[in-house]
Amino acid sequence: MLDVLPQVLVSGITLGTIYGLIAFGYQLTYVTSRTVNFGQGEALAVGALVGLSLTPMLGYWAMLPVVIVFGGLYGLVVERIAVRPTLDSPSEGWILATIAFGIVAKNVSENIWGKEDLPFPSPLPPLPIEIGGAFVMPTELLIVGGALLLMVAIELFNRFTLLGRAFAATADEREAAGLVGIDTEKVISGSFALSCATAACAGVLVAPVTLTGPGMGLVLALKGFSAAILGGLTSGLGAVVGGLLIGIAEALTAFYISTGYKEVPGLLILLAALTLKPEGLFGRVLAKKV
Amino acid sequence: MRALHLTLAVFALMASVPLLAPNAYYLHLATVVLVFAVALLGLDIIIGHVGEISLGHFGLFAIGAYTAGLLSVDAGAPLAVALIAAGAVSAGFGAVLAFPALRTHGPYFAMVTLAFASIVQVVLNEWTGLTRGARGLAVPKPPLLGATLDAAGFYLVVFVVFALVWILVGNLAASRYGRSFQALQGSTIALESLGVSATASKILAFCLSAAVTGVAGGLYAFSEEYITPQAFNFDLTVVFLLALIVGGRANRWGALVGAVVAVWLPNLLGDIAAFRVMAVAAAVLILGATARSVARGRHGWSAWIPAAVAVAVAVTAFQLETMTEQRLSVFGLLLLGAIAYLPEGLVGTLAAVWRPEPDSTSGPLPERGAAAVAEPVDGTPVTVRGVTVRFGGLRAMSDVSTRIETASVHGLIGPNGAGKSTFVNTLTGLYTPSAGDIRIGDTSIVGASPAQIARLGVARTFQNIQLFGHMSVIENVLVGLHLAYRSNLVDALVRSRRYRCEERENRERAQALLAFVGLAGAANQDARSLPYGQQRLLEIARALATEPKVLLLDEPAAGLLPSDIDALMAILRRVRAGGRTLLLIEHHMDMVMALCDRITVLDFGEKIAEGSPDEVTSDPKVVEAYLGATEAAA
Repeated sequence: MLDVLPQVLVSGITLGTIYGLIAFGYQLTYVTSRTVNFGQGEALAVGALVGLSLTPMLGYWAMLPVVIVFGGLYGLVVERIAVRPTLDSPSEGWILATIAFGIVAKNVSENIWGKEDLPFPSPLPPLPIEIGGAFVMPTELLIVGGALLLMVAIELFNRFTLLGRAFAATADEREAAGLVGIDTEKVISGSFALSCATAACAGVLVAPVTLTGPGMGLVLALKGFSAAILGGLTSGLGAVVGGLLIGIAEALTAFYISTGYKEVPGLLILLAALTLKPEGLFGRVLAKKV
Repeated sequence: MRALHLTLAVFALMASVPLLAPNAYYLHLATVVLVFAVALLGLDIIIGHVGEISLGHFGLFAIGAYTAGLLSVDAGAPLAVALIAAGAVSAGFGAVLAFPALRTHGPYFAMVTLAFASIVQVVLNEWTGLTRGARGLAVPKPPLLGATLDAAGFYLVVFVVFALVWILVGNLAASRYGRSFQALQGSTIALESLGVSATASKILAFCLSAAVTGVAGGLYAFSEEYITPQAFNFDLTVVFLLALIVGGRANRWGALVGAVVAVWLPNLLGDIAAFRVMAVAAAVLILGATARSVARGRHGWSAWIPAAVAVAVAVTAFQLETMTEQRLSVFGLLLLGAIAYLPEGLVGTLAAVWRPEPDSTSGPLPERGAAAVAEPVDGTPVTVRGVTVRFGGLRAMSDVSTRIETASVHGLIGPNGAGKSTFVNTLTGLYTPSAGDIRIGDTSIVGASPAQIARLGVARTFQNIQLFGHMSVIENVLVGLHLAYRSNLVDALVRSRRYRCEERENRERAQALLAFVGLAGAANQDARSLPYGQQRLLEIARALATEPKVLLLDEPAAGLLPSDIDALMAILRRVRAGGRTLLLIEHHMDMVMALCDRITVLDFGEKIAEGSPDEVTSDPKVVEAYLGATEAAA
């Protein structure tokens, strides 16, 4: 049983990086507005479906930037319609509003692409490569590489660009950020655009190994959300670690225990972590002055 | 009275549904409406009262359904036993769920509850030996008192359960327990400072919420007569949430209206003719509302988006032959509209229109209560020995010792950042000292929780006001009286005589405390609507409600008008005359000098002087701390 461990780990890491990438999408909006898009799964699915339709016209590689731009536009609409009207209401209306937006998006895409799952052509040949005793499909490498690249890009953007600093400032104190001249409304819009672009990109990355359909995003989004919460919504490193923990726990359980229970250990880790550290493994505690 | 009549009329109507329903289909729909309403009454304890979004109630609903179903099928349990067990088992799981959820908020809380429910779903699916797994479990309606239960009979059972839950949940919400749940969403720190354990309150809220939702799950199993793990999924949570938000939360009517909407809307949307009428009506309404708000000069072009969407939907409605495929889109759009334009839900919005303004005239001051406020209380001295508080590498307080005497006002002054609030926060258990000892009387409080310290007779006000803003002024004070009750949860749920007696007495007492600080006329306003200065006075009244031996006031005069400060000083003099120990942190030196018997001066976390007001003001170190180096002043 142990000789397949590397193989199991490879599949866990592949899953984990995707979860981590989706987790980044939640973090991006959480830091600017303390909200997340609960329709992130639909953003992912719509991204993949648009990618599927564009690939025959543009080819896989040229399709990618178009999908990213599309995801960004999608995010702007989500923010404008589902988040902004509810942002300052005392109730957490945005949770439901983003879910509602997702319901609409899913239904519309069912009417465009149908309810059936469609295969997504892989851009790379299905020839496994041997790495350290495990056989890795080139597509899996593409997923891991693409996800890591995106995550690094987002992290660099957050840390070193002026706009990224504006994101952080808005996160810390929206009013004060507004006073020093940051257009916080635009920053929040921008963070949603970036977040949904990330999700759309995650969608086209995983589509070759899953299937593509309006319902493909729900489970992935929930796993990504678990990863974001486990790591802490304010830490990029947390998203990666959270994603890997959940992905690897899932792969190990599925192989060594039972596929039926594959989600349980990750969720138990999550519950245990939040019992001990309510702000997530790498989350920051915001001190409240009384 | 009008509200009671309305309730009775609606309940009478609901009781007669078996006579009115044209066929079995509608009777079943009505049954499901009431089952959902019960579930929502449970969910509302968490969402409406505690103020956190739970995505996990579908798990508790499933636990209730399977408990009742399995007991009935495998053990032949009677209906009542199965339902009670459903509630009890679900409550047990609720208590377990409370622990990871205790310190989490917002999305973290949502995730904890969702993770729990996801695990429940997997276990129900996989533990085939018990649950039959994905094949599902057939649950015939059990006989009731020997007679077989037909659809109409079962509807009446559900109706009776609904009515019972309606009454119990209403009593709960109006009781001190309900108030402590609501206080959780205002400020857990303040709740603890009144001696009420936030942990215990949250666990209780979870148990009760889970019990009610579990009973609903049990009813659901018997209503559907067939349950599968797949029936309890994330979509169900979405339905619950939308029903409660669209109906209106923190309100029983919201749960009922929400259940009606959630169950009937999908059916309504199947009918294209009805939908066309609705879509046109909605488009006209939204266009009108938008035109009005734009005419008032608000928003830009984006204000027209909802109107444009509504018109587009109305136009599309006439293009379509059927709408089975588009149903979910319409559903989602309706939801979005409801959330954006009816943030308080249907019931909340209607209630705001109909509800009379809160009665702001004050009744005569109850004599008994008024006397109680002035009753002498034995204060307790506070001894602080060598206390050091560290935050990481920073020393917020180093080696501070002092003694605060009974029936005195002890001043604590110092420049900003001197460690004054740290002192109060350490004394009340928010921070734990890294060295030293603090005693209230003879009891050391190092390591005790804020609620435990409060129960020793220490009350406080906060520099950054920590009121329960969405609760009324008098309810804020009543939270302070939480520990004055002897009646228990059961008394509160059934409104026993003992409970009603105590509730009346405590309301009088709260009213007297409000009169004591000059807020008698504002009793029924929302606390957050009070002017700033009055909010500070309300914090004092709330703290006094706990009958403290020691009262800590953290900048009570900050932001007050000069006239208010005089009133405040009069109040504090009367509190001291009652025999309490007072610690006063304040920047208004006139007030400190006029009130305090002794003064401790802190600077950079160290005590630099202590003595009578005269001694302290003439101390060169104090002058230096406040005005800078003496050379510069010279």
